Amino acid sequence: MKNIVIGRYVPGNSFLYRMDPRTKLIALIALMVAAFLIQSFTHMLVSLALVTLLLVAGRISVKRVYLGLRPLMFLLFFTFIFQVMFNQEGDEIFTLPLHYSLLSIVAAAAVVVFWFMTKKHVRFKLFYFLFTVAAVFAVLHYIDFGVLFGEGTFRVFEEGLSTAFFIMVRLIIIIMLSTILTITTKPTDLNLGLERVLKPLRIVRINTEEIAMIISIALRYIPTLLDEANKIMLAQASRGVDFQEGKLKDKVVQIISLLVPMFIISFQRSDDLANAMEARSFVPGQPRTRLHVLTWKRLDTFALTLSLVALVAVIVVRVV
Amino acid sequence: MAIKFERVGYEYKDIDGKGYLALADVTLNINKTGEFITLIGETGSGKSTLAQHMNALLTPTEGRVHIFGMKISRETRKSKNLKLNPIRQKVGLVFQFPEYQLFEETVENDIAFGPKNFGVSEAEAKERAKKMLNIVGLDDSYLSRSPFNLSGGEKKRVSIAGILAMEPDILVLDEPTSGLDPLGRNALLEVFYDIHQKLDKTVVIITHDMNTVYEYAKRVLVMREGNLVYDGNPTQLFSRKNVKSWNLDVPDILKLRRALEEKFSITLEGETRSKAQLMAKIKEALR
Repeated sequence: MKNIVIGRYVPGNSFLYRMDPRTKLIALIALMVAAFLIQSFTHMLVSLALVTLLLVAGRISVKRVYLGLRPLMFLLFFTFIFQVMFNQEGDEIFTLPLHYSLLSIVAAAAVVVFWFMTKKHVRFKLFYFLFTVAAVFAVLHYIDFGVLFGEGTFRVFEEGLSTAFFIMVRLIIIIMLSTILTITTKPTDLNLGLERVLKPLRIVRINTEEIAMIISIALRYIPTLLDEANKIMLAQASRGVDFQEGKLKDKVVQIISLLVPMFIISFQRSDDLANAMEARSFVPGQPRTRLHVLTWKRLDTFALTLSLVALVAVIVVRVV
Repeated sequence: MAIKFERVGYEYKDIDGKGYLALADVTLNINKTGEFITLIGETGSGKSTLAQHMNALLTPTEGRVHIFGMKISRETRKSKNLKLNPIRQKVGLVFQFPEYQLFEETVENDIAFGPKNFGVSEAEAKERAKKMLNIVGLDDSYLSRSPFNLSGGEKKRVSIAGILAMEPDILVLDEPTSGLDPLGRNALLEVFYDIHQKLDKTVVIITHDMNTVYEYAKRVLVMREGNLVYDGNPTQLFSRKNVKSWNLDVPDILKLRRALEEKFSITLEGETRSKAQLMAKIKEALR
């Protein structure tokens, strides 16, 4: 659980850290929209490369972002495989005849069981999983004797492959960009930036300051609550709760023993926080003076222009 | 030997792979019976991490811990067959903050929760709940109350009762007396001392209070920056010159005794661990 990176600020020093949070927020939105509009294969790869370059240039550890992506990897690959298997539009680009016989099905099952048993000991789990998937198909393809139940074909269509690719790369780009934002921006700055960016909404009588405050407090408390959950699990484990095992009935009790203290502690924390804010004369909706005043630098103008140009360019390419 | 630490190291890792060494090369033996140990050290010195190794909540990243004959190390932890629950029953660990464990509707159910997890029958568990609640100094009227409407001190007592009800062989308490008023604190310390004396059980207490250490402990462990720097009796500890450099204060009784000795230029013989002992010695010396 400690590996969850979303919403965590990591101190550092690079141009990304020096940028104004407003710039980063607007640029993030612009680039996200751009990522959704891109329709060419090469452009997609180029933008993925550019985002990676941004990481490297901004001196953010690529490993850290990769670790942040890892919990979502399963989702990404699931979407990918789902698309490839069931989207049957466009030209057929790959066919693999499959044989369903007693022997081949047993062999395929054996491969899956072997994967399940050994996956704990393998370092590159994802590659190992892909390797297993490939092995299952190879088994079904090559073992063609024994009692046949039927024949089938595994087809991959152009449309399916490209949709799968686009969805995956888009998601990766979006996650990377938002991770860059939260890693390089202090929660307080993010709050301030959000407040300013949302300011036009005041015209329609939306209290943007409060919304910004709510968002930033929520982000701020994600890691804290994860730490709390970890401590509660340890405390309950001392009382004989085995979070790894148990029947369904036990599982329910286990989850309750985690959730109840979690709720109580969350309410307590928010109560404390509210008191601490009030003790420092925080009144919702009242104008506040700032300790850190946002300053617009030349870097910001440059970065903002660049990302808006990127967005416009993508739109132009798409329309033309 | 009930708990045996062999060159134990523990490193907290953050996502960058950057580590923070919370324990380094700790070697330590704790007997099953007859010990009353206090574990002291500044905040962040690794006391709680050490305590969480005692019932296998944490697995050492270096070295081994043997708990009632079961070997806990990086290698053994990987095998799924390792049953840790029996260890948790034998070594009861009370956490510093009761909020992390109270969750049932009534105090009675909450105290009975631990024993029931270890296969004790409902009736027996409830009986233990009542008994342990009385032991920690709360009367029967608390049984049906909600644990969330109690004061901080009462919550603490209930959480301690919850572990006592598991009837562990070794009791490990992480700052059991923090947040209690002085009278309540002394009463609770007497409870732990009673458990130690009458049932001949080993008790390990993490504390910041040097008076507790001096008055009760038979053995003191001092942690400093993840290292076990002292393992011995309290009298010798406080007569060491470098006690202050470990950020430890000298107990009040000892301060008083030294002041008296200096003022009246006398030397008292023997140990004076409690007020009563010191008074007796002074009377003797004045005679």
